Amino acid sequence: MGRQRRRVDRAAGAGSGTLPEAIAALSRALPCGPSPETFRRAKFDRPEAAPALWQLLFRVLSPISEAGATAPPAPEAQARLVKAALRSEGYPRPALAQLPEDGSRGSRELLLALSWLLARRPLLERLLARTRVRLGDEVAVCECLGVSTGCLGTEPDPCPLQCEDLAFGRANTGLPALGLGSELHVDIRHVQWLMGKLRFQWRNLVSTQQEQCALLSKIHSYTWGCHSDQCLGHLSATETEVLRDPEGSQQLLQVLEQENAHLAATVEWRRRELVFWQWMDTVLDTCPQQAPDAGSQPVFLPKIPDHRGGQWELVAGEMQALEEELRAAAEPRRAAWEAQVRGQSRDLAWSSALRALQETVGQELAALRWAWDQGRDPAQPHGLYRLVRSEPGAPAGRGLQAAEVIGALRSKEACLEAALRQLQGQCRRELARLVGALPGFVWISSPVR
Amino acid sequence: MLPADCSRRLVAELRGALDACAERQRQLERSLRVSRRLLRAWEPAATPAAEPTLGPEAKGEHLSPGEPRPPAFPRSCPRAWPAPSREQRPGASARFLAFSACTPSSQDLKELELLTQALEKAARVRKGISKAGGDKAPVPKSGSTVTPVTTTPSHLQAPGQADGRVSETSPPRGICQTKAPTKGHPERRLLSSEDRISWGRGARATRPGPGLRDQQTAPPAAQQAPEAFTLKEKGTLLQLPMAFRKAASQNSRLWAQISSTQTSDSADATTTAKTQFLQKMQTASGPHGPGLSAAEVEAELGRLQEACSLLRLRMEEEVAAAPVDWKQELRCLFTLEGLQALAGQCLCRLQELRAAVAEQQLGPWPVGGSRSTLSPCGAGADPARGPRLLLYSSTQELQTLVALRLQVAMLTQQIHLEKVLMAELLPLVHTQGRWGPRELSLCRAVHSLLCDAGERFPTVLQDEPTG
Repeated sequence: MGRQRRRVDRAAGAGSGTLPEAIAALSRALPCGPSPETFRRAKFDRPEAAPALWQLLFRVLSPISEAGATAPPAPEAQARLVKAALRSEGYPRPALAQLPEDGSRGSRELLLALSWLLARRPLLERLLARTRVRLGDEVAVCECLGVSTGCLGTEPDPCPLQCEDLAFGRANTGLPALGLGSELHVDIRHVQWLMGKLRFQWRNLVSTQQEQCALLSKIHSYTWGCHSDQCLGHLSATETEVLRDPEGSQQLLQVLEQENAHLAATVEWRRRELVFWQWMDTVLDTCPQQAPDAGSQPVFLPKIPDHRGGQWELVAGEMQALEEELRAAAEPRRAAWEAQVRGQSRDLAWSSALRALQETVGQELAALRWAWDQGRDPAQPHGLYRLVRSEPGAPAGRGLQAAEVIGALRSKEACLEAALRQLQGQCRRELARLVGALPGFVWISSPVR
Repeated sequence: MLPADCSRRLVAELRGALDACAERQRQLERSLRVSRRLLRAWEPAATPAAEPTLGPEAKGEHLSPGEPRPPAFPRSCPRAWPAPSREQRPGASARFLAFSACTPSSQDLKELELLTQALEKAARVRKGISKAGGDKAPVPKSGSTVTPVTTTPSHLQAPGQADGRVSETSPPRGICQTKAPTKGHPERRLLSSEDRISWGRGARATRPGPGLRDQQTAPPAAQQAPEAFTLKEKGTLLQLPMAFRKAASQNSRLWAQISSTQTSDSADATTTAKTQFLQKMQTASGPHGPGLSAAEVEAELGRLQEACSLLRLRMEEEVAAAPVDWKQELRCLFTLEGLQALAGQCLCRLQELRAAVAEQQLGPWPVGGSRSTLSPCGAGADPARGPRLLLYSSTQELQTLVALRLQVAMLTQQIHLEKVLMAELLPLVHTQGRWGPRELSLCRAVHSLLCDAGERFPTVLQDEPTG
């Protein structure tokens, strides 16, 4: 069997002899990488390879909080999560959904799934990036998706707070808050109380954050000149902690060295991966052809309540309302315009002016569309940065200046405030309309700030 | 009382926001604890009580034969000293690699013990001498030091050296030099070395630490009343241990390598092989269309939301503007109609997405949000980018930056909550039949929540009909 395998492999790999090395590099680079043997067994759909691959996929696909958990869920639960996650990703092959969850077979399909993930994006790099050891005082300059807020954290703790969760207040579980139990109906006062509590917590957060900044600033200035890296110039809190507590920081060094090993393996993998893809082609070929049965649905997974349903409604409702308003604004103007020009003569100059105007407006609107299509403004800084104290007069070009970020944030703040005011104004008008119609009541609203 | 489903949604939304905030606070407090601890006086690491025979050596740490511990790596280094002196003699301390968990072998320990005993004796003798000659409490300059025990072999070779040559004997890896202003008190070096945090020379008021220190009557440098290390005073003397620095530089080198390979693989054989493989996977699976991932759908949803607010902003601008001539009027008309068309397109796209999700049975991410590796990520477009620096020049600046960022996050959350509240509460007010006191108070509460974020309340006066 071994010889046969080798023959097959040699035939598959153009750079013969490097396939084992490529697979070895891959298995070293993956977080809980299965042994290279597992990969080979999976090609022939050997059942003993399946559990390791289920585990690997679970590790890769689960969000960070799960990956760091001390007690991974049972294998069946892991398998279910993997299936759901792949479905979520748009995995094309239905065969995966049909695999039994006890890990008794399906290694070839799992191998295909893993390769699919590897091919779509730089999976290894992303995996390493999310658990990257942060030696500096990292701060996020924006509040975007997937970025750890850093919170000026001094511990290399890869447990980021999901910014979007913060912004949109989504419950951390995918399920709606089932714990309401007895409080099915709440009074509006409860809602007011929760809002007040939220406001208070934010204020708390702000003051804690300010204190942390002050302390970090002190640490940076006290350790001026200590860093071997001239660019940085001073130690970060994490590094100082290493010095303060060397035994406790042994772990940090170990993690760092482990990461280095993974990184080195990833670099090697990148060099050798062509052979792997050629081999995967052969793996795909050995799969029995599936009769495309578009009609029959595979195993019907239990419908997870879509907690995003609310968001669809919100956006759709907003968009609809907006379209209505635009129509209401545009139609009378169109009618007025038509009436105005009915009598006038339309000469060439006039119609060319018209066309020019149309073009300009078209361009403006295209720019507007581009603004949201692009997602985010590429000029805006975002991501995690290492905080470094420097003299104000120092030559720029080493990195991002705080003043720039402050400017960008201020403009963002202004936009958001305008948007909020606009919404609040809308509500005010609406409510005034409603209550203004009531006879016998005088409604004195609070003075607008 | 609010209806059940409305209550549930509102409470879930607000509780989610509170949880997220609390989590953020927890993380922050954890970091704060660490920072506070760093700025206080550093406690000596938990050390076993010294045995009398070992004398001062046991004061700081390990080296009592029963408890081998990884040697302390040097904690301070006088910057004033020229670099080369520090890097000499890798061999000498090679055995005592700080930070690696190698414990000194028993032979080393024995050696050390003998050594310290000898030095102790010498110290006692010298103390007698120097006491006679008047103690000169050396004032430590920036070069106060801690030479860990590990340096003893090299120390031995140069007993009684004067300051000038001290540097050469010091072991590498940033281990500090003793700057013994008095003519060579190697024992002092040794003694102070064990105590990882004993920095003091000369007259110091504080004498922290347990009674261990009191045993140290022998050396004249008893005034090196080992005082607690504070970052404020001696922070500039620190230096990271060699192993750590090596690992850190290797780390950044590897990350740089990775990011360069990523950017360079645009159109080469590997990429084509991967695309081919993906296509094969797609076709082999049957007539399903190219799958959308949940993350992509969510991203698009976010974009459409952004579109909504941008369109609305633009509409407000146009509606507010007063055209003065026919050109402006026409322009306004064209813009509004264009905006309307865009809004229609977005709506269509929204329906399409919704249908695709339903058909593919995409469903939400199984475990709390699509924040895993697969969502378009992370530290900028390129997760493997090298260390990017954010330079600040004063505490004020840093605080402003961070406060602004929090403000932006808070405003984003507020806007979202506002929309949710509007969607839930306005219909309630609309559908109220009669206007009794309960309805009025509900209306009042809704007004305060929606229009003033709950900070202020309107007043309702009942106007008594006259007559």
